[in-house]
Amino acid sequence: MEKVKLPKSVLELLSRHGISSDSLLCACATDMNTNCEYADGYVILTADKLCLLTSPPDPSRVRSFKGYSKKGDLETDYGQNWAFRFLAITELESVKIERQVACGLLIANDGDALAAFSNLHMKNMHQLVRSFDRIKNPQPDFMQEEEEEDEYCPKCGTMYPNRNRKICPKCMERGTIFMRVLRYFKPYRAKLAIMLVCFLGIAALNLVWPYLNGTVLYDHILEKDSAFLAKLGIKDGRFVTALLLIVLTMFFVKLSLQLLLVLQGVFTAQIVTSVVRDLKKDIFGAMGKLSISFYKSRQTGSLMTRVLRDAERVTSFFIDGAPYILIHSFTIISTLIVMFSIRWELAIVACILLPISVVVGMKLRPHLWSLFGRRHRAERSLNSQVNDNLTGARVVKAFGQEQRELTRFSTNNSRMKDAELAIVRFDNKFTFLYSTTQELTSMIVWFIGVALVLSGTNFDLGVLITFVGYVGQLSGPMNFFSHIFHWWSDSINSAQRMFEILDAIPEVQEKENPVAMPSPKGEIVLDHVTFGYEINKPVLKNINLHIKEGEMLGIVGRSGAGKTTLVNLISRMYDPQEGAIYFDGVNVRDLAFHDLRRNVAMVSQETYIFMGTVEQNIAYANPNATKAEIIRAAVLASAHDFILRMPDGYDTIIGSAGRELSGGERQRISIARAILANPKILILDEATASVDTETEKAIQESINYLIKGRTTISIAHRLSTLRDADRLVVIDNGEITEEGTQPELTELRGTYYKLMELQTKALALKGIE
Amino acid sequence: MPPFGKTPPGGGDHEEFNLEQMEKETEEMLKLRYINKDNAEFKRTDGGFVSVRIGEEFHPRVQVVRMFPFSDPEKYISIRTPDEHSKEIGIIEDMKDVTKETAQMLTEQLNLRYFTPIITKIVNIKEEYGYAYFEVVTDRGACRFTINMGGHAVVHLSETRILISDIDENRFEIPDIMKLSAKELKKLDLFL
Repeated sequence: MEKVKLPKSVLELLSRHGISSDSLLCACATDMNTNCEYADGYVILTADKLCLLTSPPDPSRVRSFKGYSKKGDLETDYGQNWAFRFLAITELESVKIERQVACGLLIANDGDALAAFSNLHMKNMHQLVRSFDRIKNPQPDFMQEEEEEDEYCPKCGTMYPNRNRKICPKCMERGTIFMRVLRYFKPYRAKLAIMLVCFLGIAALNLVWPYLNGTVLYDHILEKDSAFLAKLGIKDGRFVTALLLIVLTMFFVKLSLQLLLVLQGVFTAQIVTSVVRDLKKDIFGAMGKLSISFYKSRQTGSLMTRVLRDAERVTSFFIDGAPYILIHSFTIISTLIVMFSIRWELAIVACILLPISVVVGMKLRPHLWSLFGRRHRAERSLNSQVNDNLTGARVVKAFGQEQRELTRFSTNNSRMKDAELAIVRFDNKFTFLYSTTQELTSMIVWFIGVALVLSGTNFDLGVLITFVGYVGQLSGPMNFFSHIFHWWSDSINSAQRMFEILDAIPEVQEKENPVAMPSPKGEIVLDHVTFGYEINKPVLKNINLHIKEGEMLGIVGRSGAGKTTLVNLISRMYDPQEGAIYFDGVNVRDLAFHDLRRNVAMVSQETYIFMGTVEQNIAYANPNATKAEIIRAAVLASAHDFILRMPDGYDTIIGSAGRELSGGERQRISIARAILANPKILILDEATASVDTETEKAIQESINYLIKGRTTISIAHRLSTLRDADRLVVIDNGEITEEGTQPELTELRGTYYKLMELQTKALALKGIE
Repeated sequence: MPPFGKTPPGGGDHEEFNLEQMEKETEEMLKLRYINKDNAEFKRTDGGFVSVRIGEEFHPRVQVVRMFPFSDPEKYISIRTPDEHSKEIGIIEDMKDVTKETAQMLTEQLNLRYFTPIITKIVNIKEEYGYAYFEVVTDRGACRFTINMGGHAVVHLSETRILISDIDENRFEIPDIMKLSAKELKKLDLFL
């Protein structure tokens, strides 16, 4: 164990009482007292003592909670006057943590409050309690000590947004990610090149335009510049012809500009959609490979939409953002060069004034964004309420609460309106200020320009008009650069999230060179299996179970006892943390996924019907099944009759877009699916929980047929379902507490007996009514 | 015994199963017991908790729980056994129904259970990379804490009252945001 770090004053106090720093086993800081004040303290464990130190509350001390507090909090010495209490371990029967609503209490002997602490120290305190338990009850700790993970970026000290994903957004290598996204554009190189040419063409034509409609039009044509005509090869004096020529040129410039824009738009659309498609395909593929725990720890729906939106956001940046960095830089530089070469004094004035409007934009835009965020939130709560009401329409109607729902809706609706109004109001302000500064800038340029023209210092009106045209052309690109950074880091973040899923390593992985098992016998052995969804919280503890070939094993137990977890392990949705599971003597970790999945089928309490016909749903695990086989499976699952009662029979579309099925009907479809899969090992997890007794009886018959020649594991609350089980195990609190045949368990008078009695009584009670 | 009661395959001996007792238990489970100064006696324990005696019944330590911690903290207090599968011993409908001393000692228990510093001043809020970093002054002293932007860290208990949970689920409360200054409100704007 790591050496315990404590402040000097504490160590001194301990050594005064004969406790050397070497004898310390574990220490945990506390930050509260039982009077609900913030106060520093320590709980320190040695081999024979538990030391409690507290200091008087210090209101001047700033409390830092997680996110602010770095490691080393234990070393900080506040030099307090410690009040102390030493307890001999022999006197302590138990030390427990009791979680309060937002803090924790350390309690000895079920009634002595030793210390209070905020949730900041919860984890550490749990470790201390575990150390205490080990002293009291020396036994190998089967749960691994959780590693004290670094949650902060070692470079800059920022906390990682996601603990499982040690990526510091501040220090993230944006360049690498950028290059990685670029790889997705590689197949479209040719199109990209054309697009870039279009971009450059557009920029160049834009550069020509002010010259044409300023200098050429005003200074050469209007001023009747003969030299200019000569240059064009037009006879002197024919200015109308020249005008016609210029107008035609201008027309063609505009026309080709539009054509280039259309061309560029077409290519952009093609590239964007293709890249988004490629990205989504990769993401979907990667998600399919991930283990079930990945889906459990995240909300699947939001994850999916988020990632898909990320794909679009990234791509749009790469198309609408990245190339423009080039184009706009080109525009700005070339425009500036032209401007300076026209009249450097005026160019300087413009250069000083232009950034003002950019700054105004930069200052005000974030607020506009936050207003958009507010509207988004209002919209979301409005939508969720509407959704809530639509799904709950039956309840609303049943209790006649339409009026109240309307009021509730109005509140949210008004909030939405307010948010919308706030945006409009601010947007007006923003546009007003922004365009005013912009107009002001060009006014000043005009003013100085006209003054220059009037003073007659070789400065013509046409040149001025050209110049103003260039000034106008600068503001767009400059604006672009004012928010490009935000956009860029946003999109890189999105890309990072996407790659996180693409790179995620599934927890349950197929071994290299797995063992093939085309036709297993169906023997299952669980050898000292321990498993928990969270480390430190084992759901199953040291389970030993031998299920013989062709046996039907019933699993009984309270809700939350770990029954479903057990079968999840057998079908290798998860891997056990300790121990191993063997099929026919082969560790499931070594088995090929294909053989494992083909030979283990599960009918679970959560039935899922895919979008599609009844036929497709039944044939899900075995798409090559013949129609005759599908019908046979449906008959065996007692589904045939209800399927034929539907007008379209086996071709009826079911699932989210189709006909709605009742719980029992869905259940029977999924049983038919399992029958058709023809597995060697069949797992029934509350398979008949949502059907009526009569249907259950029918399904029971089919299951009786089904279990022949297979190993079956059946979980049920209704014990009558397990009538035909060869053997039963009772799981309580993650452990197998009873095991045996039905008569044996009844004889035991334990949990099984009690459950059985309760259920028969309940049935009897129903009879009396 | 009615004929339609299923006989368990293991051979159910119905005689041993006390139906009456089961019914009694069920009835007990469904009953609400209100307690007040007349039928219950609360006492402090040495360990810093509270014990209760109700007639013959004695509980060396009880858990005190609010049924409506936000909307009605002084009423409907549930007195429960402290163990994991805690059961209700009785209900105090109103803190006024017990003696002042009892109310005081129960309130102490409640304060610890629902420990939530009240934010009196917002010094700074910084949002960065999915977290918001708060620097505030509370009635228990200055605090710095961090919340997750993605989740439901900020809960609106009413139009003006908000509850903030940091990443460890430590709680902080702003009872009335209208009492904050315009400047502080602006800092909080993102969460309103």
